[in-house]
Amino acid sequence: MGLFKTLAVFLRIKKKEVNVLVIGLNNSGKSTIINHFKDEEDKQSEIVPTVGFNVEKFQNQSLSFTAFDMSGHGRYRDLWEHYYKDCHGIVFVIDSSDKLRLVVVKDELDLLLQHPDICNRKIPILFFANKMDCKESLSSVKIAAGLGLDKIMDKPWNISASNALTGDGLNEGVEWLTQQIRDTIVNRN
Amino acid sequence: MSKTELNPSRWLEAHSDRSADLTTLPKHLLLANICGDGDYRLVLVDAKFGDDISARLKVYKGTVLCSDQSLPDVPSALISFYVDGIEPRTPVLGVACGSDLLIYKNSKPFYKFSIPPLSISALEQDVWQKLCLSSDEPYEKIIEALESVPLSELSGRSQKLLTLAQQEIEDYVYKYRNAELRRICPITCMTTLYRNSEDATSVSYPVLATEFGQLYVLDSQTFTILHEARISNTKATPSIVVAAGKFEVEFRILVACRERYVTLIRKDWLEGKNILQTTASIVDMLIMPGDKFICIATSDKMLNCYSKRGNKLWSVATAQAITCISLVPLQHLSLSLVAVGMQGGSIHLYHSRHPVDYISAPDTPSAIVFGQMGQEDHVMVIITLGGTINFKILKRTADFGLNQDTGISPTIQSKPLPLPKRSKLFLEQSLREKQNPTDMHQSFQQDLIRLRLTSARTLLQINSDQSGIGNTKEQIKLSAQVLGLGPTFTLILTVENMNPDKALIQLSAIFHCNPENYQLSLYTLPIPFVPPSLSYKIHNKVIECLNDGLPKDEAQGNNTIRVFIVRNEQIQPVLAATINMPPTDPLAFTM
Repeated sequence: MGLFKTLAVFLRIKKKEVNVLVIGLNNSGKSTIINHFKDEEDKQSEIVPTVGFNVEKFQNQSLSFTAFDMSGHGRYRDLWEHYYKDCHGIVFVIDSSDKLRLVVVKDELDLLLQHPDICNRKIPILFFANKMDCKESLSSVKIAAGLGLDKIMDKPWNISASNALTGDGLNEGVEWLTQQIRDTIVNRN
Repeated sequence: MSKTELNPSRWLEAHSDRSADLTTLPKHLLLANICGDGDYRLVLVDAKFGDDISARLKVYKGTVLCSDQSLPDVPSALISFYVDGIEPRTPVLGVACGSDLLIYKNSKPFYKFSIPPLSISALEQDVWQKLCLSSDEPYEKIIEALESVPLSELSGRSQKLLTLAQQEIEDYVYKYRNAELRRICPITCMTTLYRNSEDATSVSYPVLATEFGQLYVLDSQTFTILHEARISNTKATPSIVVAAGKFEVEFRILVACRERYVTLIRKDWLEGKNILQTTASIVDMLIMPGDKFICIATSDKMLNCYSKRGNKLWSVATAQAITCISLVPLQHLSLSLVAVGMQGGSIHLYHSRHPVDYISAPDTPSAIVFGQMGQEDHVMVIITLGGTINFKILKRTADFGLNQDTGISPTIQSKPLPLPKRSKLFLEQSLREKQNPTDMHQSFQQDLIRLRLTSARTLLQINSDQSGIGNTKEQIKLSAQVLGLGPTFTLILTVENMNPDKALIQLSAIFHCNPENYQLSLYTLPIPFVPPSLSYKIHNKVIECLNDGLPKDEAQGNNTIRVFIVRNEQIQPVLAATINMPPTDPLAFTM
């Protein structure tokens, strides 16, 4: 059976299912980003603050993504760590117009990287410097410097400036994540 | 709690701007959702007290100044409150300038409420009429009449007139000839009071207190006076007002006065009641949510807490003079801390009387506010005397270590101790004490001296006791025992580990003696592991060397064996002892 399954995946008949965790502070645009990848008929016209988390599925190339859209509100951030174990990739959304909370983003990122379920795994992390259309927004380079992303040595990471309302920058980011996840899965097999 | 436990800090340094150049007084700072978009803004008054006094109302969105407008005068207080239930819920800002309450809605001037002017005495009115109309009578004569009225009951204009020099009077009178004579009462402090619900976004009423000791509660929609009360029956100049409760149900308004007392006004009271008095001037006052205790910072470096009725519960001395205090409510931990800003730039957070955290500001904080700002719930904004604006964010993981040591706070003794009733024996004893106090005192002193003597004697005895030598720091005790009559002795050393937790390891015993006198079976011995509270015995065979068949006993130091307990690779011995060996009985030897 295992051979058939691998063959099916290899021949791209059956799509491999992967879990990605979408995290970030509240009001950073996580649900809006997920909404962009949904099919036209499932799209929501109005995004409300997420309570707890939502599970959404979407396809990209050969992979079938199951995205855990976590709530970013302070009181729900404790939930994040329970999903670290089973995820293949992490999408970290940052509100690049919120300079005040960049330190909070850094604090949460440090907590993520120090978590025992994450720190020893070579898990790809995709950063979206969202809300790039806001006039007071910081560039993705500045955000990467502010968060000290250059210090992440053991994990592949990528930052892309995005605008979740129009969809700019989202596909490039997810393309990268797909590639990374496919690489790790192929390597494991 | 030691300082090392507090590192790394519970606070994230979000932003600091040394060039902000703000002069903000404690009651001039608040966080409010003034645009109704859920993005809480920082609203502050920047007052400049240079040659020309001016004040500006500034609004910060995040770290960016987004609105800046000038105010007619330096305000005494700044509040925000909800006036209605219309969605989106947007609070208005209230600024107390002089005797006016200026209302700003959506950062635009919206309404002005003026405190009704006080009555002017007929005499004063008459004087001004005369001053304005007639010019044949000399001014001084007319003005003289004013001096019969107490200065505090005159209008500001007459007060100034009395201080002027003769040549200036004419100009002054001419200038105000046609202006209406008014005795205004400036608002000194202001707060808000919920109407019928204590929800954060429910409608609340402004509460104003004036220089002359009047208190007004205003309707926030019609801006009419709903309740008016005198603050105290004595002279009271309110400086801080705080309110708790609901206007339509029951409320408590506390007013701290410059005369160092605090008065309480409740629903339907027309006059306040003094509930407490402090020895030093009141810097700031808070009502703690929940238990409604009154927290007062005074100018003598004290933070005091009083019960609802004004009984003092506790007071703590702070390291430096307090400049401002702010409530730090943490709902997710269900506790409220008090941030105390002090001279020099340190801010201590108190949980009741215990300091639980220390924060440092660039210099002496002049105003502190804690609350929601932007999207973040727990932001502390500090404005210092040097004009720096500093934003700190409380970490999500901070719990102030209060989960572990909840037992640290001793229960506050609000009720008296359960003392037994005075017994017959007690009465007899006290009667006896009254009859011959001198004898009793003398016999007590005698016993006390005797006790001291006994204890000193015991101490001396212990010190000179040779049987056991101990090292109190390492908690090791060494005792020696000499068996035998000679020339062969057995020396038994007992190393005792008195530490109940730690075992003794890496120790050695070294024996030192004059080889001409004694020969030992062992000179060094590594002491094995000694578990806590146990002892280890060392047996050592000593043979006295006898010259000419006779034991030597000329010098004292020669018949001693020295023992050192040393820790491996440590120069200083842990313990040293001298054992006096008994002289060999020559008779026993010859036999």
